[in-house]
Amino acid sequence: MLSLKTGMSKAKKEEKHVYPPLPPAGKWLPVVAVSWLVPGAGHFMLKRTYRGAILAGSVLVMFLLGLMMRGYMFEPMSGDLLTTIIYTGGFIGNMATGVLYFMTKWFGYNQPDIAGHTVDYGTKFLVAAGLFNVLAIVDAFEIATGRKD
Amino acid sequence: MPKMTLNHFEATLIFALLISIVLGVVTKRTDQERLQYGIKSFGYFLLTVFGLGWLMYFGHR
Repeated sequence: MLSLKTGMSKAKKEEKHVYPPLPPAGKWLPVVAVSWLVPGAGHFMLKRTYRGAILAGSVLVMFLLGLMMRGYMFEPMSGDLLTTIIYTGGFIGNMATGVLYFMTKWFGYNQPDIAGHTVDYGTKFLVAAGLFNVLAIVDAFEIATGRKD
Repeated sequence: MPKMTLNHFEATLIFALLISIVLGVVTKRTDQERLQYGIKSFGYFLLTVFGLGWLMYFGHR
């Protein structure tokens, strides 16, 4: 009896991890692309207004604080392994903020200051804003594909 | 762009707050769960900050 129960709970657990088949790309790709370009917009497209507003606000506040703290924006750089990982990873993190990154680059809002703890925090804030947006993109993708409510 | 200078504590506090909000929103399913998770996560961040702060204080004595 016990083994039957254990088996059933195991089967239930396995059942939980089975995702529905991926719908056609036309259904989720625009949402993912818009989510990347404009933080929170994917959620607005999916009518998750409050969730989108909170995520957009968090990304925006983090990004603006990073800029105001004169954070540094990474450029891809090769060299030793650690340098490559840090600079390429940082660049991807910065790029993940979408239009915020492009506007900052185009209009020259990013003015890194001399090294100090504030600038260092600012750099981390800018990358963290991108990582927040990555989480938002994944969330929007899961909603669009029916893997999440 | 105006310049802003935050000390370590302020920067960490804002960082922890925003991370807790985002994690709460994307990982949980109901509003109640999100709020609870956000508060819990922020509390853990604070505990870690104070714990590490004291650790470094005693480490440098």
